[in-house]
Amino acid sequence: MSGAGVRTNGLALAAIVAVGVVASFAVHDAVTLDLAFTLLLYAVLGQSWNWISGYAGNISFGHAIFFGCGAYAAALCVTNGVSPWIAIPAGALAAAALAVIAGFPTLGLRGHYFSIATIAVAALVETFVRTAPWLGKANGFELPIRSGWAAMQFPSKGPYVLLALALFAAVQLATIALERSRLGYYLRALRANHAAAASVGIGERRTKLIAFAWSAVIASVAGVLYAQYTLFIDPPSTIALAVSIDIALIGVVGGIGTLWGPAVGALVYVVLAKGVALRIGGAGKGYDLVIYGAIICVIAALRPHGIVGSIVDVLRRRRGAAAPDATIACAP
Amino acid sequence: MEALSTFLALLAGGVLTGLVFALVAVGLTLIYGVMDVVNFAHGEFLMLAMYATLGLALLGVGPLLGLPLVALALLLFGIVVYRVFVRRLLAGPPEATVFGTFGLLVLLQGAAQALFTSDYQSVPNPPLQGTMHLGPIALSEATLVEGAGALVLTAVLFAFVEYTETGRAMRAVAEDRIAATLMGIDVQRVNALAFGIGAACVGAAGALLMLSYPVFPTVGAGFALTAFVVVALGGFGSIHGALLGALLVGLLEVFGGFYLSPELKLVPVYVAYLAVVLLRPQGLLGRR
Amino acid sequence: MHVRRPSALVLAAFALAAFGGATPAPAADPPEIVIGSVLPLTGSLAQTGAGLRTAQQLAADLVNGHVSYPLPLVGKSGLPHLGHARIRIEFADSQGKPDQARAAAEQLITQQHVVALIGTYASSTTATASQVAERYGVPFLNPDSSSPSLTARGLKWFFRTTPHDGTFADNFYQFLGDLKKKNKNLGVKRVAIVSEDGLFGTGASDAEEAGAKKNGYDVATRIAYPATTTEVNAEVQKVKAATPDVLMQASYLPDALLFMRGYKQQGVAVKAILAQDAGFIDPGFIKTLGPDAEGVFTREVFSLDIKHRNQAVPLIDQLFRQRFNDKPLDGNTARDFMGILVLADALDRAGSTKPDAVRDALTKTNIPGKLTLMPWARIHFDATGQNDGGVGIIEQVQDGKYETVWPFDVAVRPVVWPMPAWKH
Repeated sequence: MSGAGVRTNGLALAAIVAVGVVASFAVHDAVTLDLAFTLLLYAVLGQSWNWISGYAGNISFGHAIFFGCGAYAAALCVTNGVSPWIAIPAGALAAAALAVIAGFPTLGLRGHYFSIATIAVAALVETFVRTAPWLGKANGFELPIRSGWAAMQFPSKGPYVLLALALFAAVQLATIALERSRLGYYLRALRANHAAAASVGIGERRTKLIAFAWSAVIASVAGVLYAQYTLFIDPPSTIALAVSIDIALIGVVGGIGTLWGPAVGALVYVVLAKGVALRIGGAGKGYDLVIYGAIICVIAALRPHGIVGSIVDVLRRRRGAAAPDATIACAP
Repeated sequence: MEALSTFLALLAGGVLTGLVFALVAVGLTLIYGVMDVVNFAHGEFLMLAMYATLGLALLGVGPLLGLPLVALALLLFGIVVYRVFVRRLLAGPPEATVFGTFGLLVLLQGAAQALFTSDYQSVPNPPLQGTMHLGPIALSEATLVEGAGALVLTAVLFAFVEYTETGRAMRAVAEDRIAATLMGIDVQRVNALAFGIGAACVGAAGALLMLSYPVFPTVGAGFALTAFVVVALGGFGSIHGALLGALLVGLLEVFGGFYLSPELKLVPVYVAYLAVVLLRPQGLLGRR
Repeated sequence: MHVRRPSALVLAAFALAAFGGATPAPAADPPEIVIGSVLPLTGSLAQTGAGLRTAQQLAADLVNGHVSYPLPLVGKSGLPHLGHARIRIEFADSQGKPDQARAAAEQLITQQHVVALIGTYASSTTATASQVAERYGVPFLNPDSSSPSLTARGLKWFFRTTPHDGTFADNFYQFLGDLKKKNKNLGVKRVAIVSEDGLFGTGASDAEEAGAKKNGYDVATRIAYPATTTEVNAEVQKVKAATPDVLMQASYLPDALLFMRGYKQQGVAVKAILAQDAGFIDPGFIKTLGPDAEGVFTREVFSLDIKHRNQAVPLIDQLFRQRFNDKPLDGNTARDFMGILVLADALDRAGSTKPDAVRDALTKTNIPGKLTLMPWARIHFDATGQNDGGVGIIEQVQDGKYETVWPFDVAVRPVVWPMPAWKH
């Protein structure tokens, strides 16, 4: 990303943060604040997924386990009388360790094999949690009601939105940093051509492991915040395959491998979920799923780079730059 | 003696379970082999086939009689889905097929819930509910038929791919798409057929499974997950591999369930998958 | 002198004033009291949610109406001690997810300003929604969630009418105890506990295991299996190897069918299968298994046919069928129906919509069982907010239908013991 790019994106981020801060103090409507929180949290999760699936190019369908690391860390801290703030580094450490253990053997796998491997690893983790009494098994944890910054729990929603905003800003800045960093450069090189990258000494496994570990850490911090907000966690709401799929789809819809893709994807997801549920919900049908699925199909078929990715493509073409992969086109 | 008969019962159960998994997985591996697409909506195709079987059963046509009809319906459905949708996915970046078929999964599940409700629905008065005795082992007639169906389906599919012209065309496309085009093979037509036949296999699976299971919108999820592992284990694109992988998974699940614990019965399956895929990334009998 | 004709406008104004004065003061409509209901209206529990919603709405309409039934607050045209205020239910969707339930509860409290909350069926969604209510100091009535932990949280504003898993497990052992009294050689010592590994199964089997230890039974084996499993070979072999006298099972329909068929094929012979509802009472269970379902016991929360039942039961059933696709009233819908009535009763006794007054009235609730649709002794909340008068019943499949067989004083048929042998 060029210097100009950093300026533009930085300004956009600053604007969002400013609006968000004002809103969290000025808006008192619990429903709106809840929407804002959910939106920011999903955007963060989507971005964490983006690091490994978009920038590194290894599509993960098991990302919820890292989210779960943070959520369960928070639950364990609180139910043992420890401040949930400790859960941030604790969960992050657990998530990073899990990423390295799971990633070391699997990150060398290509395409579908890796994706299915992530499903297998996630299933193992879920089985582990469901059968471990100290992790609450199927019952999960209910966090006791507290108040105050030390307990990371607040009677009103404003402070939660502030925290989510801070996390979102931090993650966006980190992603900008990633794009401009050596790590980001290595990742782009690996995506463009594995063999060429290896020949200049870029270690695929090592590079991707770093990206994977960081993406896990981000997801885990989001998990801590989620636990403190919802005050109830169990396997279906935190580490189930459905959660992993939701995270992945947010990234896809928004635009895989782009800075703002996850945020846009989160927006679409939340608007759709709430909008459709409000209008059609109550009849007990799956209409919202049908619409969401159709949108994803359309995007995948017509605009596979997602919403933001398509906009980026259009902008690039206008500026006259060559197509990103200039290879000789072949018959189907 | 107790332990032996228990062991034999578990062995038989594991083999039959494996064959049922093979039944579901064989269509998936064909599609992958020919066009490099993992159809993540595979479970939902199964679910649709099961609903179709239910529909026929409610009209008086039992699952066994209805099987060819359901297979035919799924064949047509698969071809249409390919022509309208999957073909476009293939023209895009590699992630497009993954996301596209996932979108299809969400859409089909939602549609099923909207059309059929989330109630469990079973075929009324299903046939073959009896028990067969093979020495000390008792086996369910329905499961035996499902297992036999898997073997027949695998054999038929293999024969088709080996000995027919279309099958040869499919193998050509699977091996080298560009060369196949240069040889004058209409790749789009072959792809569409492969997708359709893969769907038809799942159709047959769905019809047989209605002998033993109720159908509901998310019924495909459990079967599909195992199918993916089976296919990846056996090797994407290999029909024999799918059979072998399925038998392995079935035995691991059943023996794991007894000698480890039922809660943990899927652990050996996933661990074995990860082990094989690490030591032999193309799967046991896969090619690339 | 030129007499000015009154303009049309002035005439109209007079007319309005004349007619306007004839109607009563601005409170022409009776006052309204809004109750918030959080239910799974979309998602996998949507079918159940739709039924619960219908049942709750029916109850509200009956409270607002003038047709009397032997049920609390029904047919009095609203709440008498609140100026015949009418009840209106505002529904919000939990989607079956805990965080959505939380948001829904919050929306109802902060935007619709409901005086009380009711819901939410799944225990995980009830946990979060009721925490919101606790935070805001709004009474929360739970008619249908069975996890014992819900009333073990020390909450002030949480009230539950339904019995929980602990009570249901106790019912099994009371049933066995009553059978022993009649027949000293019952021969039941070893209990096998089988359940799916989700929230429902774990709660049920935890309670069953605790009950076994409390009542002096041996747990021959305890098996938990993954909820979405497609085969149960190992599980059935384990049960067989454990040679239990009695089997306690908590499963959904697909696994219930797999197990029953597996038990038959592998010749697992027990004196009784005691099921915890769910898959075993799904209409597909008896339909699919036919004669193989004979003799299975299940605990239930409600039955249309128990002796000495409230006369209103068939009438309410009829009204419900008219509104819900001719589906009969069942345990879930009956409990939710009663939940609205319990709230109405408390509101009326409080004579006010102030939260503290309503809460206080709830703690003093004492509705005799005969005035409810349920087979309960009474509705009365203990210090933890749990109804201490609740009890389950036990039904048995006899001649292709579930019949109430326990408690003996409300049973319509005698117990068939042991379960008949498998017919091949």
